[in-house]
Amino acid sequence: MDFGTSDFKYGPITCGETPRIVNNRGYFPDKNSVVYKAFESTDEVIVGEDVPLYLQSAEDLSSRLVYPMRNGMIDKADDTAWQVVSALTNLGLNTFKPEPNNGFQGYYVVASLSSVSPRYMYERLLDLFKQNNANGNVKAITVIPQPFAVAIGHGVTTCVVIESGHGNSQICPISKYPIRAAQVVLNRGGGDANAITSEILKDTGYGDLANEEAFVRKVKENIGLVPADLDAALDEAKRSPRRFRAKYKVPGTRVEIDLEKDSWSRFLIGEYVFNPNHEVFESYFGRGMPRPRDVKMGDTTFRGMLDFGDAIVTSVERCPVELQPMLYREVLLSGGNFSWTVPERLEDIAVDAPTKIKSLLRQKGIKNVSVKMTKSPQFSVWHGCLIYGFAVPDDYEWDWQRLEGWMKLSG
Amino acid sequence: MGAHQTERSEIPQNNLAFISGSEKVHVVVLRSEDFVERNKVIEAILSLTSLRNSSQLLYLAAPRLLGASIDAAIFKPYGIGLLLFDERRIDEAVPPQLMQPPNLTQQTSQTPDPGLFTELVTLKSMYTEMERTIATLRDDLKTLRRNSETQTDTRAPTPSRIARHEPTFPASNLSGSQLPAFFSNNPWLDVLSKRGRLGDEPIAG
Repeated sequence: MDFGTSDFKYGPITCGETPRIVNNRGYFPDKNSVVYKAFESTDEVIVGEDVPLYLQSAEDLSSRLVYPMRNGMIDKADDTAWQVVSALTNLGLNTFKPEPNNGFQGYYVVASLSSVSPRYMYERLLDLFKQNNANGNVKAITVIPQPFAVAIGHGVTTCVVIESGHGNSQICPISKYPIRAAQVVLNRGGGDANAITSEILKDTGYGDLANEEAFVRKVKENIGLVPADLDAALDEAKRSPRRFRAKYKVPGTRVEIDLEKDSWSRFLIGEYVFNPNHEVFESYFGRGMPRPRDVKMGDTTFRGMLDFGDAIVTSVERCPVELQPMLYREVLLSGGNFSWTVPERLEDIAVDAPTKIKSLLRQKGIKNVSVKMTKSPQFSVWHGCLIYGFAVPDDYEWDWQRLEGWMKLSG
Repeated sequence: MGAHQTERSEIPQNNLAFISGSEKVHVVVLRSEDFVERNKVIEAILSLTSLRNSSQLLYLAAPRLLGASIDAAIFKPYGIGLLLFDERRIDEAVPPQLMQPPNLTQQTSQTPDPGLFTELVTLKSMYTEMERTIATLRDDLKTLRRNSETQTDTRAPTPSRIARHEPTFPASNLSGSQLPAFFSNNPWLDVLSKRGRLGDEPIAG
């Protein structure tokens, strides 16, 4: 079971290559509503495919629709969010029922959480599985961090995994085990690229559309570019605005964005994700766009302004020296925030995410580097969970220090 | 049949109305996609009852799937006809009964019509039956989807096989044809199978 920031992916090995997917969210219906009574549901929280049926009657989605893991972490006292996780756990356990009398001994369940999850999240999740195992179908349960699962799913035993989601990015070295003490977390993700896209829209006369989150995200995905070198890209784009023209029409509407002579600003969107330290961003901070700040959550400090190159180097240099060259040779990128494309005829100026990371590392003097996207960005965590559950011996018991092993529930 | 269609503006969308001799025939059509929306089913039944006073023959037209999953005779006592259709043909599964014109003296009476109550009770039971049928259909559909997903990958092992973990699991004994493709040549199978064995310790970092 992969508890991602947006989606919950689950299913046993019999699913093959693709898991079941539902949104990682829950809807708390108004118990006095006619629709709630008509559907005769006794559930406190609705999860899975039925959520849209209830949304039709919702008056206040913001308070009733809960995404428990938007930032990878759930507060200890956030009972609402934990209720959603409990309901999703139940859904995962009850969707696949074993056939009777086939010698079934119980499922070995592997759940995956963000690597920034503090110990209390492990405790609470393991407790939820114990509570929800009324039918005794689960024999043992374990929890592994998502970057570790990515490395397993990709089939690399020594590497650095960078998982970049909506709210944060995790850099985690792996050498047969996740090296937790070397982990670096950035307080920057896809949401920050949305923020600068919104500022660009305001500056170019589209202020009325700049507050619509879904629209801003579409604009980011369609016009945002990652420059190989920001200064060179800005010079070239200002010299030849027609070649770099950023134009996007929303399908099925009359809404069209055309940055015209300001099309150079499309390079700021990609650059900001990888390195927000260029002086050009100061004018945005000066005009009120919040600067990504260092935030301490639990025992982890989420770094705001560290560029990806520095973040990788900081993380790798916390590992034994003889291991460091091997880690640089396998840098794996995972998550939607690395899905940047390069338009035709702009290959000399714009680059994809692996090339940008390589370039940032080269600037720090790290040359023998291989950076790749994971083979299956959407499912690699779930693939890793299956392989872990299949291969780890039954007698490898849960250990709270290592945060690994099987916690036996029955049998 | 010699019937002719009534003015299109008189009838709601998806409904059909005909004049056959001196009788007005009204057909409420329920489509396959309507099963997903409970309101559409309720709407179809309610609209049929509201037509009792204005039409002499009433039909519910529904996909053949409905006929296979409920007892069509349930419509008979209430005089409502049932048409079942698929892509090839339409059958009259239950013929309708002629509706009696409304009794005006009864309408003006202050006491509630016991017949009306009976009708409401029967409609409620029809609705409950439909609800149950739709729930069963949805469950069946979900099971079918699940089964088809499982059966398309014949290489997948049974849950009992997955749940078995030998302490000395030899990755080299794995049969590639029984596991999803991402298992093949994955070095983690060997690494993870040694968890908890001597010499397998994490790096402190």
